[in-house]
Amino acid sequence: MLAEVGLASVFLAFVAALYAIVVSIYGAQTHSNKFVTSARNAAVLTFPLLLISAVALVTGLITEQYQMQYVWSTTSPDMPLIFRISALWGSQAGSILFWSLLMSAFTAAALLINWHSHRRLMPYVITYTMAVLAFFLGLTLFLENPFQRIWLVGSEVAQTTFIPAGAVPPSAAQLADTANGLNPLLRHFGMVIHPPMLYLGFVGFVIPFAFAMAALASGDLSTNWIKATRRYSLIAWLFLSLGLILGGRWAYDVLGWGGYWGWDPVENAAFLPWLMGTAFLHSVMIQEKRGMLKLWNMILVIGTFSAVIFGTFATRSGLVDSVHAFARSQIGFPMFFFWATVTLISSALILWRWNRGELRDEHAFTNILSRETLFVLNNLIFVLLFIAIFWGSFGAPVISELFLETEITLGVDYFNRVTPPLFLAMFVLMGVAPVSAWGATSLRRLGRAVTVPLMLTVGFIVLVIVFGVTQLEPIAAYAIVAFAGFVALHETFRGVRARVNGLKENWLQAMLALYARNRRRYGGYVVHLGIAIIGIGIIGSTVFQTGTQQTLAVGESLDINGYQMRFNGLEAGQISGDGRIMDIANVTVSRDGRTLANLRPRRDFFPTVTNGPNSMTIAGAYSTIENDFYVLLVGWEEINANNATFKVYINPLVNLVWWGGIVLILGTFIAAWPTETVPAYVRERSRGRRDKFAGAVA
Amino acid sequence: MVQAAWEKDVDKRDEIARVGKRGDRWKFLVGGLLILAAVGYLIISGTATGAQFFITVDSLTSDPSYVGQTVRVSGAVDGTTISFDRENLIIEFTMSHIPEKFDNLADALHVSVTDPTASRVPVRVEGQVLPDLLSHEAQAIVTGQMGSDGVFHATELLLKCPSRFEELRPEQIIQAHPPEQES
Repeated sequence: MLAEVGLASVFLAFVAALYAIVVSIYGAQTHSNKFVTSARNAAVLTFPLLLISAVALVTGLITEQYQMQYVWSTTSPDMPLIFRISALWGSQAGSILFWSLLMSAFTAAALLINWHSHRRLMPYVITYTMAVLAFFLGLTLFLENPFQRIWLVGSEVAQTTFIPAGAVPPSAAQLADTANGLNPLLRHFGMVIHPPMLYLGFVGFVIPFAFAMAALASGDLSTNWIKATRRYSLIAWLFLSLGLILGGRWAYDVLGWGGYWGWDPVENAAFLPWLMGTAFLHSVMIQEKRGMLKLWNMILVIGTFSAVIFGTFATRSGLVDSVHAFARSQIGFPMFFFWATVTLISSALILWRWNRGELRDEHAFTNILSRETLFVLNNLIFVLLFIAIFWGSFGAPVISELFLETEITLGVDYFNRVTPPLFLAMFVLMGVAPVSAWGATSLRRLGRAVTVPLMLTVGFIVLVIVFGVTQLEPIAAYAIVAFAGFVALHETFRGVRARVNGLKENWLQAMLALYARNRRRYGGYVVHLGIAIIGIGIIGSTVFQTGTQQTLAVGESLDINGYQMRFNGLEAGQISGDGRIMDIANVTVSRDGRTLANLRPRRDFFPTVTNGPNSMTIAGAYSTIENDFYVLLVGWEEINANNATFKVYINPLVNLVWWGGIVLILGTFIAAWPTETVPAYVRERSRGRRDKFAGAVA
Repeated sequence: MVQAAWEKDVDKRDEIARVGKRGDRWKFLVGGLLILAAVGYLIISGTATGAQFFITVDSLTSDPSYVGQTVRVSGAVDGTTISFDRENLIIEFTMSHIPEKFDNLADALHVSVTDPTASRVPVRVEGQVLPDLLSHEAQAIVTGQMGSDGVFHATELLLKCPSRFEELRPEQIIQAHPPEQES
């Protein structure tokens, strides 16, 4: 029953999306309100329909309907509720359905909220969003159907959508015993929320993309499409950032190498849209303020969306490990085809408008030292980072495979050499651009504006040196990143002080008013601060990580960076609620004779997982602002656990990466918080109605 | 000098933009080209230092010219050969050749490990904790050098398990519960 309901509503959503595409185009051509409205209703309808099918799948997962192939392959009887729910995005078929659900939710919101204010764009927004949605629903229906069921036909096992003739369902015990469950490495809180965050980020960028395409198609090339989608871009960007940070956190907690970013192609595939999207968020401000970069913004929004689709394609098709793998997943070719089509159509639309002279800028760049030039430089750096990372992860392997008949991959060395100068250039611009003015800035003015941040930076560097950093390069890197952070702080401080002095507000009032009055600018500074904090954390934890490994008998200690770690004993064979067997080492971390923490690094073994990896190493960590004491249980003496081997890492400043992430969330919320919940025209109308009502009563 | 115009003085800004010297354009051009050249150099030199051939076990074992050269090799892990010296952090295992083209990774790995004629290479990794993903019939991607001792000395060990996004096949239901044993 669940499978039928789920499948039927996916099918209906697919039909609704196709209907919306056709009718919205027809409505736009004939300027028929009726048809466009009908298309909108169909587009909005996809959301409840997909919600029904997602609920059907989740119900199947929770109630252990193992006859559903998806449930059988992603869950097992010993799994707790939270992982049953998150299994919705635990495997390919479910994650495509989930992707579609999120996308229809974003679309419905964007259509309903902007329906009156951006009427001219609407038909095309419907066409584009529904085309993307229809593609993903097509994948769900025809290639990656999560509602297929398992049947026994004679002595054969069949896996089909519809019930084959003479089929009987396998017995419950048969199914439950063989159900495999989620890969143990993914049973982590970070993995529960990391994929939805990334998907929300990916899906969110569909909205600005669809509006941009609608602007090109309709000819309304004003800043309307930017204004309508500003908040969606920010929210998408926020989720993408969170997805990346949470993914890093998961790797740090689970993968046991003491790091959080490995320049793996899959990670890079998610980072590429972030780079493009960040460039886009900055450059649209230039178009809004100065009427410049119209063409460039179109290129960036298409680039961002294209990177989203490419990333999804590249990670799902097997392209990233090896380019031989086009046949490895069924969705590889359709995804590639879709990506190429979207990119081609969008580029053609841009060229068409460009040739008609409709994307010309209203101002020219005149002065090197102006805010718009610095923004353009910032864009250039982001795009160059994009190109460098794309080349390293996909370009070089694919091209060498195609033309040299041998595959060449670029390792971590490549990224460690190419990206740091570009990131630092980005931080320099993050420091200078906010204090420069539109149009033109004098050097003297610029100098005056950065005096205080520079002094603070010098103070910070003294602190860094006091803490024992002596090499020039890391000091320079710290200085650049810190400077960007101090500029953000100082600009906010100046704004608050101006209000305190001018308007006689108290400091708290002044600060709240400042954030309320210019959300984007001051929220943006908070985001800058967050990024600077993350930057400091990344420099500290990558340049100055130290580690050691040692085998300790019970009662013995090891020393590292002023810490002592004592091995108190091993608790072997602890059985947890979900059936895992845990071997836990008990260690005490102390410093200068003072006990700081008892840590329990452990190794979990999943006896029910018979296929694939079935163990999981979980680190113990003692975190302070200065560093993380991060310990892994490597192994132990099997018989009586008299000794155990540990690997210990000291990761300086790594917590700043996570804390910077929290600051970044806060800043994005400030920037994206709705300033006006009810649009002016609605308020106007309702006031009119109220007056009429009052008149009638009188 | 130009008045500090934040976001208030619209007329003045427009004026500046109009008055601005057209001749400044070459500055943007030269600046942009310099940046592009610098980044181009970075990418090219990075590619030169970071490039590694990505080869199969067959090519590694049949072509002696790879000895001593840093390469990436992909192979299938034979779980029975995994050994881990925890005190010195030395991982050793043997991996077998995976063909360049296949339809299903899990099948390809299984065939590779069970095929006695498939070429094999012993791998040695030092200084690393035994990864959780190192298991029977996992795909290993190792980076390092083939030693003259016939052992591949890896500095990096990546593992991929087909279970992540490739579904299991329902035939396993029958394998685990042969029909005749059912009650």
